[in-house]
Amino acid sequence: MFSIAEYSFLISASSVQEIRSTDSLGGNVVDLDRPVLSKVRHIVERDSRSYYVVSGYEHFHVPLSRPTSVLILRDVPVAVLVDRIEQMAEMRILLGLPRSFRGEERIWYRGLTVLERKVLPVADPRGFLTAEELRRLEDENPGLLQAAGHPVGASRHERERA
Amino acid sequence: MPREAVAELIASPQLFAFPHTTPLIAGVVLRRGRILAVLDLGPGVSGALSPSTRFFLVVERHISDAPEKCAIPVQGACELVTGIMLPAENPDGFVTGHLDLNGEQIDVLDLEKAIAFSAANKNEWIPATEALS
Repeated sequence: MFSIAEYSFLISASSVQEIRSTDSLGGNVVDLDRPVLSKVRHIVERDSRSYYVVSGYEHFHVPLSRPTSVLILRDVPVAVLVDRIEQMAEMRILLGLPRSFRGEERIWYRGLTVLERKVLPVADPRGFLTAEELRRLEDENPGLLQAAGHPVGASRHERERA
Repeated sequence: MPREAVAELIASPQLFAFPHTTPLIAGVVLRRGRILAVLDLGPGVSGALSPSTRFFLVVERHISDAPEKCAIPVQGACELVTGIMLPAENPDGFVTGHLDLNGEQIDVLDLEKAIAFSAANKNEWIPATEALS
Protein backbone atom coordinates (compact mmCIF):
# COMPACT_ATOMS: atom_id res chain seq x y z
CA MET A 1 0.00 0.00 0.00
CA PHE A 2 1.36 3.40 -0.92
CA SER A 3 0.07 6.92 -0.60
CA ILE A 4 0.12 10.04 -2.70
CA ALA A 5 -1.19 13.25 -1.16
CA GLU A 6 -4.16 12.21 1.00
CA TYR A 7 -5.00 9.07 -0.95
CA SER A 8 -3.95 5.46 -0.46
CA PHE A 9 -3.51 2.94 -3.25
CA LEU A 10 -2.56 -0.68 -3.59
CA ILE A 11 -0.33 -2.31 -6.14
CA SER A 12 0.47 -5.98 -6.33
CA ALA A 13 3.87 -6.81 -4.86
CA SER A 14 4.66 -9.03 -7.82
CA SER A 15 4.58 -6.04 -10.14
CA VAL A 16 7.17 -4.10 -8.11
CA GLN A 17 10.84 -4.81 -8.76
CA GLU A 18 12.28 -2.54 -6.12
CA ILE A 19 11.40 0.26 -3.73
CA ARG A 20 13.95 3.02 -3.27
CA SER A 21 14.19 6.28 -1.43
CA THR A 22 14.24 9.22 -3.83
CA ASP A 23 17.41 10.40 -2.04
CA SER A 24 19.25 7.28 -3.10
CA LEU A 25 18.63 7.71 -6.84
CA GLY A 26 20.87 10.77 -7.28
CA GLY A 27 23.39 10.11 -10.01
CA ASN A 28 21.26 7.57 -11.85
CA VAL A 29 18.71 10.12 -13.06
CA VAL A 30 18.79 11.57 -16.58
CA ASP A 31 16.61 14.44 -17.80
CA LEU A 32 14.40 13.80 -20.81
CA ASP A 33 15.37 15.91 -23.82
CA ARG A 34 11.75 16.35 -24.81
CA PRO A 35 9.32 15.77 -21.95
CA VAL A 36 6.17 15.22 -24.01
CA LEU A 37 4.19 14.24 -20.92
CA SER A 38 4.09 16.56 -17.92
CA LYS A 39 4.14 13.57 -15.58
CA VAL A 40 7.39 12.19 -17.03
CA ARG A 41 10.51 14.36 -16.94
CA HIS A 42 13.30 11.92 -16.11
CA ILE A 43 14.70 8.47 -16.67
CA VAL A 44 16.35 6.46 -13.94
CA GLU A 45 18.75 3.57 -14.37
CA ARG A 46 18.84 0.61 -12.04
CA ASP A 47 20.83 -2.57 -12.57
CA SER A 48 21.53 -1.82 -16.24
CA ARG A 49 17.85 -1.19 -16.98
CA SER A 50 16.21 2.16 -17.49
CA TYR A 51 12.78 3.37 -16.43
CA TYR A 52 10.64 6.42 -17.14
CA VAL A 53 10.00 8.24 -13.85
CA VAL A 54 6.27 8.96 -13.53
CA SER A 55 5.11 11.58 -11.06
CA GLY A 56 2.38 9.89 -9.05
CA TYR A 57 0.49 13.03 -8.14
CA GLU A 58 0.45 14.27 -11.72
CA HIS A 59 -0.61 10.88 -12.99
CA PHE A 60 -3.59 10.73 -10.64
CA HIS A 61 -4.36 14.48 -10.94
CA VAL A 62 -4.12 15.02 -7.19
CA PRO A 63 -2.67 18.07 -5.40
CA LEU A 64 1.06 18.61 -5.37
CA SER A 65 2.74 16.20 -2.99
CA ARG A 66 6.22 15.42 -1.67
CA PRO A 67 7.41 12.10 -3.02
CA THR A 68 9.95 10.34 -0.85
CA SER A 69 9.92 6.88 -2.43
CA VAL A 70 10.02 5.45 -5.89
CA LEU A 71 8.43 2.17 -6.96
CA ILE A 72 10.49 0.60 -9.71
CA LEU A 73 8.10 -1.66 -11.55
CA ARG A 74 8.71 -5.06 -13.05
CA ASP A 75 7.81 -5.88 -16.69
CA VAL A 76 7.24 -2.22 -17.63
CA PRO A 77 9.87 0.54 -17.99
CA VAL A 78 8.24 2.66 -15.31
CA ALA A 79 9.30 4.01 -11.92
CA VAL A 80 6.57 5.77 -9.93
CA LEU A 81 7.19 8.57 -7.46
CA VAL A 82 5.00 8.14 -4.38
CA ASP A 83 4.83 9.95 -1.06
CA ARG A 84 5.09 6.97 1.26
CA ILE A 85 4.96 3.21 1.44
CA GLU A 86 2.25 2.56 4.01
CA GLN A 87 2.37 -1.17 4.62
CA MET A 88 2.38 -4.63 3.10
CA ALA A 89 -1.09 -6.13 3.09
CA GLU A 90 -2.82 -9.23 1.82
CA MET A 91 -5.45 -8.44 -0.79
CA ARG A 92 -8.21 -11.04 -0.58
CA ILE A 93 -10.59 -9.71 -3.18
CA LEU A 94 -10.45 -7.63 -6.36
CA LEU A 95 -13.72 -6.07 -7.44
CA GLY A 96 -14.29 -4.46 -10.81
CA LEU A 97 -14.62 -0.72 -11.00
CA PRO A 98 -18.34 0.12 -11.24
CA ARG A 99 -19.33 0.89 -14.82
CA SER A 100 -20.39 4.37 -13.76
CA PHE A 101 -16.69 5.20 -13.71
CA ARG A 102 -15.85 5.99 -17.30
CA GLY A 103 -12.79 8.25 -17.18
CA GLU A 104 -9.05 7.72 -17.06
CA GLU A 105 -9.49 5.68 -13.90
CA ARG A 106 -10.46 2.72 -16.07
CA ILE A 107 -6.84 2.74 -17.24
CA TRP A 108 -5.31 3.60 -13.89
CA TYR A 109 -6.91 0.84 -11.83
CA ARG A 110 -7.27 -2.91 -12.04
CA GLY A 111 -10.23 -2.56 -9.72
CA LEU A 112 -11.09 -1.93 -6.10
CA THR A 113 -10.46 -3.92 -2.98
CA VAL A 114 -11.61 -3.83 0.61
CA LEU A 115 -8.95 -3.68 3.28
CA GLU A 116 -9.65 -3.10 6.95
CA ARG A 117 -13.19 -2.04 5.98
CA LYS A 118 -11.88 0.60 3.61
CA VAL A 119 -12.36 0.60 -0.16
CA LEU A 120 -9.07 1.22 -1.94
CA PRO A 121 -8.14 1.37 -5.62
CA VAL A 122 -5.68 -1.18 -6.96
CA ALA A 123 -3.25 0.45 -9.39
CA ASP A 124 -2.60 -1.20 -12.73
CA PRO A 125 1.16 -1.19 -13.36
CA ARG A 126 0.49 -0.90 -17.10
CA GLY A 127 -1.75 2.11 -16.51
CA PHE A 128 1.01 4.49 -15.44
CA LEU A 129 2.17 4.75 -19.04
CA THR A 130 -0.06 3.43 -21.78
CA ALA A 131 1.38 1.91 -24.95
CA GLU A 132 0.53 5.14 -26.74
CA GLU A 133 2.33 7.25 -24.10
CA LEU A 134 5.38 4.99 -24.24
CA ARG A 135 5.43 5.30 -28.01
CA ARG A 136 5.28 9.11 -27.79
CA LEU A 137 8.11 9.20 -25.26
CA GLU A 138 10.25 6.93 -27.39
CA ASP A 139 9.46 8.86 -30.57
CA GLU A 140 10.47 12.17 -28.99
CA ASN A 141 13.47 10.77 -27.10
CA PRO A 142 14.77 8.05 -29.41
CA GLY A 143 17.20 5.62 -27.88
CA LEU A 144 17.22 7.41 -24.53
CA LEU A 145 16.05 4.43 -22.52
CA GLN A 146 18.94 2.36 -23.85
CA ALA A 147 21.53 5.13 -23.35
CA ALA A 148 20.36 6.34 -19.96
CA GLY A 149 23.16 4.61 -18.10
CA HIS A 150 25.60 7.37 -18.98
CA PRO A 151 26.57 10.13 -16.56
CA VAL A 152 24.11 12.82 -15.56
CA GLY A 153 24.53 15.86 -17.77
CA ALA A 154 25.65 13.87 -20.80
CA SER A 155 24.43 15.64 -23.90
CA ARG A 156 21.89 14.15 -26.23
CA HIS A 157 24.58 13.94 -28.90
CA GLU A 158 26.86 11.97 -26.57
CA ARG A 159 24.05 9.63 -25.63
CA GLU A 160 23.07 9.07 -29.26
CA ARG A 161 26.69 8.39 -30.14
CA ALA A 162 26.86 5.95 -27.27
CA MET B 1 -38.17 9.18 -9.04
CA PRO B 2 -40.33 6.37 -10.37
CA ARG B 3 -40.51 3.46 -7.94
CA GLU B 4 -39.03 1.07 -10.50
CA ALA B 5 -35.72 2.95 -10.46
CA VAL B 6 -35.30 2.86 -6.68
CA ALA B 7 -33.89 -0.17 -4.89
CA GLU B 8 -33.56 1.03 -1.31
CA LEU B 9 -32.64 3.85 1.03
CA ILE B 10 -29.49 3.15 3.02
CA ALA B 11 -27.45 4.78 5.71
CA SER B 12 -23.79 4.22 5.05
CA PRO B 13 -21.20 5.08 7.65
CA GLN B 14 -18.52 6.10 5.20
CA LEU B 15 -18.00 7.37 1.69
CA PHE B 16 -14.68 6.30 0.21
CA ALA B 17 -13.02 8.69 -2.21
CA PHE B 18 -10.11 8.11 -4.56
CA PRO B 19 -8.80 9.92 -7.63
CA HIS B 20 -10.82 9.61 -10.82
CA THR B 21 -11.99 11.81 -13.70
CA THR B 22 -15.67 10.91 -14.09
CA PRO B 23 -17.99 13.87 -13.54
CA LEU B 24 -20.50 13.66 -10.68
CA ILE B 25 -18.95 10.69 -8.89
CA ALA B 26 -18.14 11.65 -5.33
CA GLY B 27 -16.77 8.25 -4.33
CA VAL B 28 -18.11 4.82 -3.47
CA VAL B 29 -19.95 3.20 -0.60
CA LEU B 30 -19.86 -0.39 0.50
CA ARG B 31 -23.21 -2.16 0.69
CA ARG B 32 -23.56 -5.86 1.46
CA GLY B 33 -20.14 -6.61 0.03
CA ARG B 34 -20.85 -4.67 -3.15
CA ILE B 35 -19.30 -1.39 -4.15
CA LEU B 36 -21.70 1.31 -5.30
CA ALA B 37 -20.62 4.46 -7.08
CA VAL B 38 -22.03 7.60 -5.45
CA LEU B 39 -23.46 10.03 -8.00
CA ASP B 40 -24.03 13.57 -6.85
CA LEU B 41 -26.85 15.06 -8.92
CA GLY B 42 -26.62 18.33 -7.01
CA PRO B 43 -24.82 20.37 -9.71
CA GLY B 44 -27.60 19.74 -12.22
CA VAL B 45 -30.65 19.47 -10.03
CA SER B 46 -29.98 22.12 -7.40
CA GLY B 47 -26.99 23.98 -8.84
CA ALA B 48 -24.56 22.96 -6.11
CA LEU B 49 -22.83 19.91 -4.74
CA SER B 50 -24.99 18.02 -2.28
CA PRO B 51 -24.23 18.72 1.36
CA SER B 52 -22.51 15.97 3.29
CA THR B 53 -24.88 13.19 4.26
CA ARG B 54 -24.86 9.59 5.36
CA PHE B 55 -28.09 8.67 3.58
CA PHE B 56 -28.10 7.33 0.05
CA LEU B 57 -30.87 6.35 -2.31
CA VAL B 58 -29.81 3.22 -4.17
CA VAL B 59 -31.01 3.36 -7.74
CA GLU B 60 -30.59 1.10 -10.72
CA ARG B 61 -29.05 2.41 -13.92
CA HIS B 62 -28.55 0.70 -17.23
CA ILE B 63 -25.08 1.33 -18.53
CA SER B 64 -24.27 -0.27 -21.88
CA ASP B 65 -27.46 -2.29 -21.48
CA ALA B 66 -26.25 -3.79 -18.21
CA PRO B 67 -27.89 -2.95 -14.89
CA GLU B 68 -25.81 -1.34 -12.18
CA LYS B 69 -26.84 -0.04 -8.80
CA CYS B 70 -25.61 3.40 -7.80
CA ALA B 71 -26.10 5.54 -4.72
CA ILE B 72 -27.40 9.10 -4.72
CA PRO B 73 -26.80 11.25 -1.64
CA VAL B 74 -30.07 12.41 -0.10
CA GLN B 75 -30.98 14.13 3.13
CA GLY B 76 -32.87 11.15 4.47
CA ALA B 77 -36.40 12.49 4.11
CA CYS B 78 -37.58 9.96 1.53
CA GLU B 79 -41.16 8.82 1.14
CA LEU B 80 -42.99 6.36 -1.08
CA VAL B 81 -46.07 8.03 -2.51
CA THR B 82 -48.75 7.17 -5.05
CA GLY B 83 -50.31 9.63 -7.41
CA ILE B 84 -51.18 10.44 -10.96
CA MET B 85 -48.23 11.90 -12.83
CA LEU B 86 -48.90 14.82 -15.13
CA PRO B 87 -46.38 15.13 -17.95
CA ALA B 88 -43.83 17.92 -17.85
CA GLU B 89 -44.26 20.89 -20.12
CA ASN B 90 -40.70 20.52 -21.42
CA PRO B 91 -40.22 16.89 -22.48
CA ASP B 92 -36.51 17.45 -23.11
CA GLY B 93 -35.72 18.34 -19.51
CA PHE B 94 -34.77 15.95 -16.73
CA VAL B 95 -38.16 16.50 -15.04
CA THR B 96 -40.49 14.11 -16.81
CA GLY B 97 -43.62 14.97 -14.89
CA HIS B 98 -45.26 16.22 -11.71
CA LEU B 99 -47.24 14.62 -8.91
CA ASP B 100 -49.90 16.63 -7.16
CA LEU B 101 -49.84 15.67 -3.49
CA ASN B 102 -52.53 17.57 -1.64
CA GLY B 103 -51.66 20.71 -3.54
CA GLU B 104 -47.89 20.22 -3.34
CA GLN B 105 -46.21 19.81 -6.71
CA ILE B 106 -43.49 17.13 -6.72
CA ASP B 107 -41.13 16.88 -9.68
CA VAL B 108 -40.48 13.41 -11.06
CA LEU B 109 -36.91 12.97 -12.30
CA ASP B 110 -35.64 11.00 -15.25
CA LEU B 111 -32.44 9.69 -13.69
CA GLU B 112 -30.38 9.33 -16.84
CA LYS B 113 -31.39 12.76 -18.12
CA ALA B 114 -30.59 14.27 -14.72
CA ILE B 115 -27.16 12.61 -14.77
CA ALA B 116 -26.46 13.84 -18.29
CA PHE B 117 -27.64 17.35 -17.43
CA SER B 118 -25.61 17.45 -14.21
CA ALA B 119 -22.52 16.18 -15.99
CA ALA B 120 -22.90 18.86 -18.64
CA ASN B 121 -23.18 21.49 -15.91
CA LYS B 122 -20.09 20.18 -14.19
CA ASN B 123 -18.09 19.09 -17.17
CA GLU B 124 -14.90 18.49 -15.29
CA TRP B 125 -13.89 16.01 -12.65
CA ILE B 126 -14.90 16.80 -9.10
CA PRO B 127 -12.01 16.45 -6.68
CA ALA B 128 -13.14 14.01 -4.05
CA THR B 129 -12.16 16.40 -1.28
CA GLU B 130 -14.45 19.05 -2.72
CA ALA B 131 -17.34 16.63 -3.04
CA LEU B 132 -16.93 15.51 0.54
CA SER B 133 -16.66 18.95 2.10
